[in-house]
Amino acid sequence: MAEVYEVTVWTRGVSMDKEGRDVVSALAKAADREGKFVQAFDNYEDLPDRVGVPVRKYARISDEEIVMRYNYENENPDVVVIVDAALVKGVNVLRGMKRGGVLVVNTNRSPEETLKFIPNKDTLGAIACVDADGIAGRATVDFSGTEGGVDASGLGAGIAAPLAGAVAKATGVVNLESLAAVVANREALKRGYEEVVVKTI
Amino acid sequence: MAKEVLISGCAAAAQAVKYSRVDVICSYPIRPYTAIMMELAKMVANGELDAEFIHGEGEHAQLSVCYGASAAGARVFTGSSGVGVTYAFETYSPISGGRYPVQMAIADRALDPPGDFGSEHTDAMSCRDQGWLMGWAETPQEVFDNHLINYRVGEDRRIMLPQFVCHDGYFVSHIPGKVILPDQSQVDEFLPLYKPLHPLDPKHPVSHGPQIRPDQGAIMDLQRAAAFLEVPKVIREAIDDFNRIFGRDYRPFLDEYRTEDAEIVFFLQGAHARTARFAVNHLREKGLKIGLVKLRFVRPFPTEEIQECLSRFKAVGVIETSTSYGGAMKGGNLIHEVRAALYDAPERPLTTSFMAGLGGDVITIEDFSWMAEKLAKAVKAGKVEKYVYWVGFELEE
Repeated sequence: MAEVYEVTVWTRGVSMDKEGRDVVSALAKAADREGKFVQAFDNYEDLPDRVGVPVRKYARISDEEIVMRYNYENENPDVVVIVDAALVKGVNVLRGMKRGGVLVVNTNRSPEETLKFIPNKDTLGAIACVDADGIAGRATVDFSGTEGGVDASGLGAGIAAPLAGAVAKATGVVNLESLAAVVANREALKRGYEEVVVKTI
Repeated sequence: MAKEVLISGCAAAAQAVKYSRVDVICSYPIRPYTAIMMELAKMVANGELDAEFIHGEGEHAQLSVCYGASAAGARVFTGSSGVGVTYAFETYSPISGGRYPVQMAIADRALDPPGDFGSEHTDAMSCRDQGWLMGWAETPQEVFDNHLINYRVGEDRRIMLPQFVCHDGYFVSHIPGKVILPDQSQVDEFLPLYKPLHPLDPKHPVSHGPQIRPDQGAIMDLQRAAAFLEVPKVIREAIDDFNRIFGRDYRPFLDEYRTEDAEIVFFLQGAHARTARFAVNHLREKGLKIGLVKLRFVRPFPTEEIQECLSRFKAVGVIETSTSYGGAMKGGNLIHEVRAALYDAPERPLTTSFMAGLGGDVITIEDFSWMAEKLAKAVKAGKVEKYVYWVGFELEE
């Protein structure tokens, strides 16, 4: 079976739900433009979401057709993205991560400072910190996408844009140009790409 | 212009309903089918779809609204999942008995207990003998297509029967897949506007659903049974037209994959057929002559096609995604139909059933490999070890 690149996003129910979904949708759509086989979906078991609870969103990217498309989770993520930095305190966000994986956190703290809150940091190959809140300034909200509906409110107008840019810089899984073609706030995307602080471990 | 979009099975169903120009929609929320109604409610609210959108106070009421609306001559759409499907059970026979071609989407969900959001076909399969057409989709694209095909068949004057249009909850209902949204003119060519036979009309009063005497019951049952005998022919015509107009390649009842020289096959309906195709490829690389037969309609059950198709193989593994506790085959459900259909076949393959994917469990490539091993072993021994295997729970010697 072909290797599937897995991105897991941890976000918070309802208030930050769309931002988490936008990160995986942007990465998947960008990779789709690059001719990859992709998948972006919500974690069904975390739903129906409640305000503030930890919920997961997934993207999968592969050079060949994805065999286990009908599955519930990314079991071994290559990248984990944290939309709200406080989530790392209560949740083992690196569960199942492959050795040498990348953690991307929305925070204005330094990688060194952030690493203090990650108990199993020896799994990581790199940590990337980006102040997505500071760059984009707002979180967009939409309720229609979560339950299998269509979120027609636009993609990447909020903090998801700099976060997706940070993922592209830290991992190279998609090009900045492909992301720019699918994300609404291109300026924030570009700033996320440029301002992210990556520390190799 | 036709265009390709990446949408969930729920969104695909809602799109198909919009393209079908329905008149009346009745909703009641339950996971995972809910998004179909979310999407339709938006379409009606923003003027994209000119339909009456009614919110029922429960599934029984929801289906009762559809009963009335269809009697009044409307093209009607509704849907549900899991215990929502079973809560409306009483209404199914009156709707088919009155010959109202109501369409109901079912995005499967396991029945309680306790509470499980995962997909299992038992919700819909429990309703299979209520006089409705029934079949499953494997992908969001097939969801879209099946909704159109079912309206066309169900509303045919020779048929006039309601339709359960099913797809697996979560796997198909929630995970987006590529769907081609056609040009409206293609749908209009395939699916003419619904022309009711005897609609409720104050100017021409007619009775719908009156009380009858016991000696009038049998003839009504016979008429429903006779209508079902006409369905296969109408499905064939509809599929031919569908393939021509939309450039698809559907077989009416049985979709075969790599069966040309196969000795053993997986037999199943719904989402897991997608994974099964990859499993077939994987097992073929290991030298096993294996294929896949996917059932597209379980009602009407394609007896003759099953005889012709499955008698070509040495062993058939029926992958069950629903249960029949205490049944003749000790737990499997679909295998009853398969075995009954094969009884008069000149060459009968060995058949056994695999309980898999229940409660919404994932069926993995390893699971399919394990099943294939059991089938290969049965071929070698010339008989099946038992009627039912619980995949993942069998103790190996």
